[in-house]
Amino acid sequence: MKKRLCSLLLMLIILVAPALAETDEGDPVLIYSATDAPAIQPVLEAFRAANPDLAAEYREFNTMELHERIKSLEDEGYPDLVISSAMDLQVRLVNDGFARPFDDPVLDELPAWANWRNEAFGFSYEPVVFVYNKAAFAGRPLPTTHEDLATALRSDGAFFQHRVGSYDVRTSGVGYLVATQDEVTSSLSGRLKESLGRAFTQVYCCTSQLLDAIAEGDLVLGYNLLGSYALARAQRDPRIGVIVPEDYALVVSRVAFITKKAPNPGGAERFLRFLLSFQGQQVIADNGELIALHPRATGPFSIDALTGEQLPNFHPIVLGPALMVYLDQSKRRRFISEWQNALLYDPVAP
Amino acid sequence: MSTTKRGYSLRRRLLSRTALLLVAVLLLLSLGAWRYARQAADYSYDRLLNSASLSIMEGLLVRNGRVDLDLPYAALEMMQLAPDDKVFYQVRNPQGEWITGYDDLPQPETFEPSDKPFFYDARYRGEPLRFVIQSKRLTEPAVSGWVQVTLGQTLNARRELMVDILYKALLALLGLMLLALAALWFGINRALDPLSLISRTLKQRSAGDTEPLAQTPIQEVSPLVDAINSYHRRLLDNLEAMKTFIADASHQIRTAQSATQAQLDIASQTNDPATLPQRLDTIRQQHLQLTRLTNQLLAHAMVVHRSDTQSLEPIDIDALLKQLLTECVRDHAHRDIDFAYHCDLPHCSLPADRVSLREAVRNLLDNAVRYGPDDNQIDLQLVAAANGGLDIIVDDRGTGIAPHLRRQALQRFSRLATEASGSGLGLSIVQSVAEAHGGDLFLENSPLGGLRARLHLPGGST
Repeated sequence: MKKRLCSLLLMLIILVAPALAETDEGDPVLIYSATDAPAIQPVLEAFRAANPDLAAEYREFNTMELHERIKSLEDEGYPDLVISSAMDLQVRLVNDGFARPFDDPVLDELPAWANWRNEAFGFSYEPVVFVYNKAAFAGRPLPTTHEDLATALRSDGAFFQHRVGSYDVRTSGVGYLVATQDEVTSSLSGRLKESLGRAFTQVYCCTSQLLDAIAEGDLVLGYNLLGSYALARAQRDPRIGVIVPEDYALVVSRVAFITKKAPNPGGAERFLRFLLSFQGQQVIADNGELIALHPRATGPFSIDALTGEQLPNFHPIVLGPALMVYLDQSKRRRFISEWQNALLYDPVAP
Repeated sequence: MSTTKRGYSLRRRLLSRTALLLVAVLLLLSLGAWRYARQAADYSYDRLLNSASLSIMEGLLVRNGRVDLDLPYAALEMMQLAPDDKVFYQVRNPQGEWITGYDDLPQPETFEPSDKPFFYDARYRGEPLRFVIQSKRLTEPAVSGWVQVTLGQTLNARRELMVDILYKALLALLGLMLLALAALWFGINRALDPLSLISRTLKQRSAGDTEPLAQTPIQEVSPLVDAINSYHRRLLDNLEAMKTFIADASHQIRTAQSATQAQLDIASQTNDPATLPQRLDTIRQQHLQLTRLTNQLLAHAMVVHRSDTQSLEPIDIDALLKQLLTECVRDHAHRDIDFAYHCDLPHCSLPADRVSLREAVRNLLDNAVRYGPDDNQIDLQLVAAANGGLDIIVDDRGTGIAPHLRRQALQRFSRLATEASGSGLGLSIVQSVAEAHGGDLFLENSPLGGLRARLHLPGGST
């Protein structure tokens, strides 16, 4: 998910509005986000153009770090807005009382599953996909369902060995989310996990590293990657292809909430309103990296474009307290240990 | 009450009071609906809380002598039936140590683990919550005792359900009340319809209309119609009597006046001055009679008027009679008449109208004097009547009235003896007074040889 080393806290500060423009409004909106800066930048620029009087300060984090950072804050130093694709962690923060409600007509057009308590709001529609190296798969059938993939991994072990990649659920927030949701959604997940283990699946922290490895040919297939980044990369890079699984495709939505102790709640509301509005969503649909959630948004990165060719069985992850189940200390320990046993059963693998 | 003095609308009063009552009932029912809504919402979501906590309980397991939890996804997914509510949970081992979940949930003040779920309300992280504690007794060798699962939920869904139930109940109640008011309006109008009909009919009638009002089939209204008809009939009767009286009275006055006029004419045309004194005397006599007639007419009118308007008050009849007799004796002191008075009763108070009773007895005494001989004896007595009440008796030694003429004597303007200068109203007045007091006048033979007039007044003499 990150372009840089995930273990490091990278603070990329983009002052969207020039400092000179800060006049009457005063405080800028401070956004802490676990989203690649290039992905969010078009939205920030559009926001600046629409609101020249309001500066937006943007800091980028890894999902886990962001979560820990927010939890560790006392009364001071809160950002105005927190954005992360780790929906479960965001729900947990809202449940723990870190969010403030936001009620606005702009919410009427959004699907109900992407709004919890008028406090947490999903604003993107990012299917979880398979990514493959086109050259490696030349002349081979593409696995179009989870079952296909499990079968292929078993029957063609030699081809896949050490050349399948996925997230490291121990360090990637979104990786943990999609892995656990796989378990909730599909009865196949156990078998698939086992098959991935047999193929000596490589684990990575971030989408970008996975995509790099697939493009280079180090990996032939990436399992459970965020479709938004993958589709954007596939547009630029002809070496890789994206498969939206036909049996079911989980949909992750990036979740934003305004913090309860936001120093500039008015500015935060303005940004959130823009982000969720048709105007803001259309910017996402036009520019890529994220995929717009708004049902009326059109363009290469809209729901429309995703459903263009086939009729996938999209399975949006519903915002709600059930997402906290896998955050339970025992549950998480148990899941990770099972995951390790299945995927990393050969610790001496290179 | 002052309201009875000021005019008011029966319809408006009925409506407003019933509406007030309805509003009171509505308030009471709303209170009930509110309680019910709260109970229903609590009941529903307590069950959800209970089910989810039982589901969490399913995930409990003992491994290596330690209690652990594999939180079932369904447990919290179930809690999403209250989609906007936060969820907090906690699991404690038999030693009361925290195993997983939120470690700082508020605990109930008094709690004894049992097989039954324990519900309580508490605040946590600035929000009011509903909690349940589900306990399970473990009896494995390594771990024995009560494991506790605490599950809490914010109250949004409860409140929403409560408001929803309350809103619908209130809407139904309000609708019902409006319907009741409409029915009431209709009913009251229907009930008051006969009244308007009667008043309309009465208004349209001419004054001389002698027809009674048509009878109504409505049981509640027919007494009113009867009363109006009865009143109407009495009024007509009175009017008839008045007409007759006026006709009689004018006839009498005209007769007396024309007699006086004739005497005056004769007197003015006569050439013989010697006859003048005699004619003057005749005129004087006739004028006296006219005056007396006028007085009697006025007295009669007064007595009738008083009987209509005056209420009776207890007066001392004995004192009244004594005073009257004294006056009478004084008036006739120059004549050789013997007056006597008897009263043996200790107390002679009776409800009566002093003025008209005085007029009546006065008339009886005057009659006795007028129609009796010069050496008349007149006895006035006050005795207890046989059938209760009092009898005022006037006896004289005159010629009396023959029994067959006594009825006639009581009629107005009837004079039995043409030579005496009576107006023909005296006994009629006495009878009116007697009737106004609920009594009667009897003409009988007197032990003195003349007429006995007995005025009977009913009512308890004390």
